[in-house]
Amino acid sequence: MRARLLVGLLGIVLWALLPHILSRYMIDLLVFTAIYTIAGIGVGLLLGQCGIVNLGQATFYGIGAYSCAYLTVELGYPNVAGFIVGALISMTIALVVGWPVLRLTGYFLALATLALSIIGSSLFYEWDWLTGGELGIGGIPKLDIFGFKLDTPGRYYYLAWSIAFICMLLVGNLIASRTGLMLRAMRDSSEAAASLGIDMQWLRTRVFMLSALLGSVAGSLFAHYVSFTSVQSFTVDKSIGFLLIPVLGGVRSLWGVVLGALFVTVMPELLSRIGDIHQILFGLALVAVVVLLPEGLVGLLATAGRKLGWSRVRA
Amino acid sequence: MSLSLILQAAQAGITNGFIYALVGMGLAVIFRGSRVINVMHGEFSVVGAMVTVLMLTSARYPYWIAILAGVSTGPLIGALIELTLVRPMIRQRATEDQFVLLTIGLERAIAAAVLFFIGRDGYLLPAFGGDHVFIVFDVVIREHALWLIAIATFVVVALREFFRHTTLGLAMTAASIDADGAATTGINVARMRTLTFVLGGLLGAIAGILITPLIAVDYQTGLPITLKGIAAAILGGFTNPLGAVVGGLTLGMVESLVIVGVSSGYKDALTFSVLIVIMIFMPHGILGRGGRGGG
Repeated sequence: MRARLLVGLLGIVLWALLPHILSRYMIDLLVFTAIYTIAGIGVGLLLGQCGIVNLGQATFYGIGAYSCAYLTVELGYPNVAGFIVGALISMTIALVVGWPVLRLTGYFLALATLALSIIGSSLFYEWDWLTGGELGIGGIPKLDIFGFKLDTPGRYYYLAWSIAFICMLLVGNLIASRTGLMLRAMRDSSEAAASLGIDMQWLRTRVFMLSALLGSVAGSLFAHYVSFTSVQSFTVDKSIGFLLIPVLGGVRSLWGVVLGALFVTVMPELLSRIGDIHQILFGLALVAVVVLLPEGLVGLLATAGRKLGWSRVRA
Repeated sequence: MSLSLILQAAQAGITNGFIYALVGMGLAVIFRGSRVINVMHGEFSVVGAMVTVLMLTSARYPYWIAILAGVSTGPLIGALIELTLVRPMIRQRATEDQFVLLTIGLERAIAAAVLFFIGRDGYLLPAFGGDHVFIVFDVVIREHALWLIAIATFVVVALREFFRHTTLGLAMTAASIDADGAATTGINVARMRTLTFVLGGLLGAIAGILITPLIAVDYQTGLPITLKGIAAAILGGFTNPLGAVVGGLTLGMVESLVIVGVSSGYKDALTFSVLIVIMIFMPHGILGRGGRGGG
């Protein structure tokens, strides 16, 4: 127990020091890692706890981003309004769309969410009065906390990761709670869960709404970080990327989501140093992870930990 | 909206519909044979088209040899994927979503490879029958469109006959319906699964070569082709390859009517909304037959 506390403390110190050690470029990647972690937690919660493949997260990510962009730049509202409006719109859409769609199962639910992502990205493109279309919306103000401008990657790093950790904590509590038990009961045997009087459709819809909320918050953080939104950021490709995050890391673990987010942000950058061939290698790396590591990167770490004799390491 | 405009839209809808049908059929063949939704399916079309383009422009082979080479890439890639990746994963009892992710990874890798080796440019193939057009009731029909419809129809009929009347086709159907039962009658179930990928790849490559005279194909074309094919297959009930033909034609028609009646920008939003509604209210596709339960 004391060893774990020590490791935890060391981790926090390292986390706090990182922006002072690393290059601006690496910090920038880590900010994106935090943003993708938040969106990825939502997708991972659906996949790991409910067995739902969500290929529509980019839509909610986009709603969060455009809410901030439109409300602050076009209407001059305070920054926090964009976060709230984005979250409310995302959850409402998740409720209205999720309620009927979540009756589907397996592949067909995955394809329905994929369709949602296509609808979302083509509407973002088409509603250029709202989104600026291909030109996008620029000049989104930087966030500030009580007048303290978060205008460098180093400063934004603390905000983004704090929000990411809070989301992980809250979702971790949810998974450990009675609701989490109901979710896993539903995932493993829907008939048994139904016979125990669990309202499955409402439960699935609520988790879908939570996932949409996380996607929207991540999108809002993204918009304020890069100060610019354009349709390119909210395509089907992005939805696929969000799904890859928990899968690469390991769907049953929240830290897996962090690892997965690290993989999709840092890996392409590392590979890009070896030239244009890096995109092929990234695709092949994905294939390799899926084929060789069915439990994701966390599974790999757990196996390595066992081999080193750390039986305490939990997957 | 004049009548000739509607007819023109219908003609475009049928032409596109047959492409969607071929892609959807390939997806359905693979799905029925292996329970894999093949997200890299559009890459069969892109690679097939690109190899044909390269054979024609760089190597200057006759068009028909270039087409043969392009078409043969589909079965080759399909077999390779099944033998090296899908088969070991089935042995490991991989789940549905792992297969989706596998094919997503392959989709990324192949699209990136096309970008790396060929570049960002889009390429067109010469139309079958050149630029010759027919004009019927003020509707302009390119000769290529007629070739496309004829070839696609031939492929559909041939596939139907293959599955209904040849030993191999029946064995593939049996292996997909009841693997254990098929194995007891001496059918090599694993080989049948490889063949579904070969057949799927063939259909994908044919679709790619037929569409390339109409739209320029580049490294980003694969995923949109897959998505349209998936939509066609879902409309048709997914486990029924011939249903994908009805699904593809419906999708093509809905799309062109939306372009004429509403706006081309809303094409994808509206067609995929219709798709979601159909999945919810007609879970077995618009034909209402074939199994869908549990995916």
